[in-house]
Amino acid sequence: MKLTNRYEQTSCRLQVEGLPDLSAGQGDQTIGILTGFSLDLAGHTELAGQREHLQAMVAAVLPYARQLLSGVPRCCGADSDPVAIRPHAGRHQLELRSSQPDTPPLALQLDDAELADLVRCLDQLRLDPRLALPFEQPPLQPLRRRELRHRQPLAQRVAAPLVGVGVLLLSAVVSALLPLQRPAPAPAANPAAVSSPQRGG
Amino acid sequence: MADAPSHPQRPLPRRGIERLDLMLLCAEALDLNGGEAMVWLSEEMGFTDLLPNRVELWKRRCSNPLRRTTRRDLPTPAESDALIRICNALADRLYPMLRSLLSTAEPPQLSAQRWQLFEGRLAELLRERFNLRRGGVQRLLDPEQGPSLSRELIQALAFSAGPGGFERLKASLMDPVV
Repeated sequence: MKLTNRYEQTSCRLQVEGLPDLSAGQGDQTIGILTGFSLDLAGHTELAGQREHLQAMVAAVLPYARQLLSGVPRCCGADSDPVAIRPHAGRHQLELRSSQPDTPPLALQLDDAELADLVRCLDQLRLDPRLALPFEQPPLQPLRRRELRHRQPLAQRVAAPLVGVGVLLLSAVVSALLPLQRPAPAPAANPAAVSSPQRGG
Repeated sequence: MADAPSHPQRPLPRRGIERLDLMLLCAEALDLNGGEAMVWLSEEMGFTDLLPNRVELWKRRCSNPLRRTTRRDLPTPAESDALIRICNALADRLYPMLRSLLSTAEPPQLSAQRWQLFEGRLAELLRERFNLRRGGVQRLLDPEQGPSLSRELIQALAFSAGPGGFERLKASLMDPVV
């Protein structure tokens, strides 16, 4: 019996269809074999695809959302992947490449609200206990320092070290210009001044 | 109740606490009962051992160095997890509002009014509770820089909502300082 699960947000509706994999001991309400999915992005398009397309979408969109949360969104998904997403002119460009020959790639411009809807739907899908499918994504970890580096403009990043070096140089120049206190001339040797203790007899 | 996070238990860095507290403040600016909602959610989610009352909740948030009254000690990993879960639940509750602020499909005039209202409330809360001599607070109140920083916070709240929001937000709050 074919099973259907739906995940909905305001501008996004995701529907997956599949069958339970009874040979793997799954319950009869668990989708273990995904036969297809449809994704309706309101105002853009309705997509349909297979399991690998859905897995590619999860693998591209969720890491992108993670980077966006750190303020450094970068392209997720390679040119050869069915799905990629990248920042584009203040929006998010979702690129979809069909496996059908002679079908040009589709580029959708999503705003923050539409992307947030899509992310919520994919989160619901990934964490749905009624689905026994692997949706792999890199572990959610803090970004590395070099990944965050371009969050700050170059001028701000180099300002502090430059000011530090400048202050050091300035203080070196000023201290070089300061007159050194000459050591006082040694008093002339005056044997009379030196009195040797006399021993009393 | 909270399930165990996947990464090792480390306390949130000071910068992470600062951002989390600002996100909670944005939730309060969006919802006039946001402060009450936090206490209620804390009880609802079973955090009464960690955050037994509103004073304890306030004390954990005061680890934010931008606050007028600030505390030197950092929340324990369990306490900061509880705060992140509360933020995640608040974002979920406020998601329709966050969405309407971020959507470009909304009429521009209506959207501008909503932003103005939100930014006005946020500025009131900042002036009331934060140290106005700190650069971070001044930037938030600056008419040029403030709107883009407020937008970043609203965007962060929107992407922290939902079932996967907790892990995503926690990972981003652990980011190192550059």
